[in-house]
Amino acid sequence: MSVTLSKLSLRNARRQARDYLVYFGAMVMAAALLYSFNGLMFSEEILTLSKSMNQMPLLIVMVSIVVVCVFGWLVSYSTGFILARRSRELGTYLLIGLENRQVARLFFQENLVVGGCALALGLLLGSLLFQAMRAMVFALFGQAYHFSIAFSLSAAGLTAVYFVLIYLLALGRSRRRIRKTQICDLIYFDKRNEGALIGSGKKRRGLFAVSMVFGIVGALLMMAGDLTLGMVGAGCLIAFLYGFFLSFASAVPAFFDKCPARKYKGQRLLVFRTLTAKLATMGVLMATMSMIFTATLVSEGMGLVFRGIFVGRGAEKACFDLYIGTGGKEEIHREYLDYIDANISVVQCRQYSVYESGEARLIDYVKERETYNDYGYRGDPIIGYSDYAALRVLAGYETVEPIKDKYIIHCMSYLEGALKGYDEDLVLGGVALSFGGVHTEHFLQRYGEGNGYGFILVVPDEVAMACAVHHSAYAAKTSEPVSEGQYYDICAIREEVESRSGEYDAVYSKTAEEAEAASGTATAVFPLYFLALALTMTAATILTIQQLAESGRYKRQFDLLHRLGMDVGEMKKALGLQSAIYYAMPAIPSLLMGVPILLNLAKMPEPGIMVGWSSPAAVVGIAVGMFFLIYGIYILLAYISLRRNVLPEE
Amino acid sequence: MLRVKNIEKYYGSKNNVTKALDRVSFDVADGEFIAIMGASGSGKTTLLNCISTIDRVSAGDILLDGESIADIPSGRLARFRRERLGFVFQDFNLLDTLTVEENIGLALALNHEDPEEVSRKVGEMAGRLEIEDILGKFPYQVSGGQKQRAAVARAMVAGQSLLLADEPTGALDSRASKNLLEIMTRMNQSAGATILMVTHDAYSASYAGRVLFLKDGRIFNELLRGDRGRGIFYHEILDVLAAMGGDVSDVI
Repeated sequence: MSVTLSKLSLRNARRQARDYLVYFGAMVMAAALLYSFNGLMFSEEILTLSKSMNQMPLLIVMVSIVVVCVFGWLVSYSTGFILARRSRELGTYLLIGLENRQVARLFFQENLVVGGCALALGLLLGSLLFQAMRAMVFALFGQAYHFSIAFSLSAAGLTAVYFVLIYLLALGRSRRRIRKTQICDLIYFDKRNEGALIGSGKKRRGLFAVSMVFGIVGALLMMAGDLTLGMVGAGCLIAFLYGFFLSFASAVPAFFDKCPARKYKGQRLLVFRTLTAKLATMGVLMATMSMIFTATLVSEGMGLVFRGIFVGRGAEKACFDLYIGTGGKEEIHREYLDYIDANISVVQCRQYSVYESGEARLIDYVKERETYNDYGYRGDPIIGYSDYAALRVLAGYETVEPIKDKYIIHCMSYLEGALKGYDEDLVLGGVALSFGGVHTEHFLQRYGEGNGYGFILVVPDEVAMACAVHHSAYAAKTSEPVSEGQYYDICAIREEVESRSGEYDAVYSKTAEEAEAASGTATAVFPLYFLALALTMTAATILTIQQLAESGRYKRQFDLLHRLGMDVGEMKKALGLQSAIYYAMPAIPSLLMGVPILLNLAKMPEPGIMVGWSSPAAVVGIAVGMFFLIYGIYILLAYISLRRNVLPEE
Repeated sequence: MLRVKNIEKYYGSKNNVTKALDRVSFDVADGEFIAIMGASGSGKTTLLNCISTIDRVSAGDILLDGESIADIPSGRLARFRRERLGFVFQDFNLLDTLTVEENIGLALALNHEDPEEVSRKVGEMAGRLEIEDILGKFPYQVSGGQKQRAAVARAMVAGQSLLLADEPTGALDSRASKNLLEIMTRMNQSAGATILMVTHDAYSASYAGRVLFLKDGRIFNELLRGDRGRGIFYHEILDVLAAMGGDVSDVI
């Protein structure tokens, strides 16, 4: 017989991976996530998609540090939990003559084995995940994706370093704890009563009432839409969270005392007594879970907001293959045109002027109804019909009917509602013009050097030419996309022109803008989702470990209830309800806090770009949906596992 | 062999102190089989825990072969437990990832004894406890009585001189209890094992040569079996329990 410490560690590790499958699975996913993001960071192919992608490694490393801390906490919490659950077994090792340091080494080794297996499996899974992310990045840049088996040693090495950090930091604590512990603390750990942070029922009920007040005030302040009030509201909601979860366990019995008839209705007594028994000692943990879920929602929402900003801005600026708008009133500088003639295959182009009227009637009208910044226009921006029609052709839009005594408004889609209601006649240069409709295609209307700001009036050419020039512009359609190099060459010309004239011209190319939107999305959004996933997984894993750890107790309870005559169908309902409330409890406060934060975040960018799938409602809907998708998987797995392990056979 | 001198044990904090042991003194000679009886909360498990180094006394001294266990440095404590003390608990405390054989030999194997020597010792001890046929099984595959015999084997395989048993029959049916107690008696008589057993049960205690009765943390009485038969001793134990004033049913 040759049982060595290492063999024992291996057996225990196998059992730990089986008994705490959710935790093991979470660590496999942690390794897979870390590897796949490291893979992006080390992939030359990805980093050379655009110059803007050079920011990506720094952001991924910064987020990875936070994620390592989050997973470190998960490992630390889980090993502490496992240690407590196995305290009697560890005490037995001491009792049969092992030294504390040997037991500490045993526990350390078995966790390292679990971590090592999770890392190995995670690297395999991560390779597939990396392919999925590679495909997403290629799709963002509009490039064709081809599957290729690749394993990055650098990414795997960095993932291993992160894992070593996670495990060393977390296990160091357990190791110190075991080395210092007394046998009686371990042997009799499971016979001790768990301590509640606030002992007296009266204090708890008081705390419950106060926390509810904080909750209501906090929610109202968060809804107020003001940043300062919102921050105070968030503080109130955090106080509510901790107060509520620390006192909930005593509020339920108090409620039952006041309304004794209600407690016997349906499965209410069973469900709430089971819940309060669980929550009495995990109030701080539940509040922390709620905070983590809020951070998850904010992280996902921020990702969506950034995506909205990049996509919205990109779409508005990328409507022409090439566009140059002067910073002053002068014509387009010759250097630009010479470079374009010599280097870029232009199919069609247009040089034109954007004018402004002597009045700001439409600007004032819009300002009264929508968030609007005139961006330097003192009068309403104007363009001649011929130029407008030519620009529509260059942008690939449908042509519009010639106008004689009419004006058309071309605006960003967010102003459409307001401007459709403006059907007054305009008198420009002595010519009376009637309202001829609204168009809302992307038309480079987000900057002063573009085609108006937010909107532009399209009027007959002679009417436009009678107005003052605001700036000049050049737009072109090319047979080949303007390359990143050509774009930077034109930007260099702009620097020369600026140093000479002091005016800063706007230069946009479809390819550069699309690349910037894609790299911005990849650089900012991917790491935020990475963080959100890590947070959700950590919190959901801890909640599930806690829930499944009660399987034995629940089984005894349901066996007893079965003997007392309770129907299995009723038990299923009770278990389902108890699971639903248990998982909903930390999620609902996080929705109360997270949704107002997301709505405010989504309203922060300049008006007109957070529309469609990036509108505030969509941001909230998608962020909440994504969160519940991941969380729901955990809830479902935990419920299935509980049902299988706990309920008696029918 | 064992001398317990005026030991006291307190639990709790400044506002809520419980005196679990109050100036308890007694001696245990080599090869004795002693039972410690008392109602719940009388301090019997605390006494056993203090002797077994699981817990520490608040005052007084416990000497094993003349050496105070409080003076054993923490570095030597593991070796002391390994070589001198054997433990048996009510709920067995076997490790469920190990077979019965591995459970018995674990401490020897982890301390680098020759594997063949470990197997020999385990086999010999299993033979004495009549569990050779379950050595390859895991704890969840054997009965409660077999588990407890495996626990006794583990407690004695390294040649420990003192077996400390806390309610060893508490989780067993009457047949398994009788079987275990007979084996323990045999170990005591033929192998010279010194046994200190905490029990609620007068029937279990009647197998011992001497019974100490604890009440409210103090030794209330002491009963020696001498040459009397086990049946007579059993009734004498019941008489003492009745005289202790507690509910006899509480300790039967």
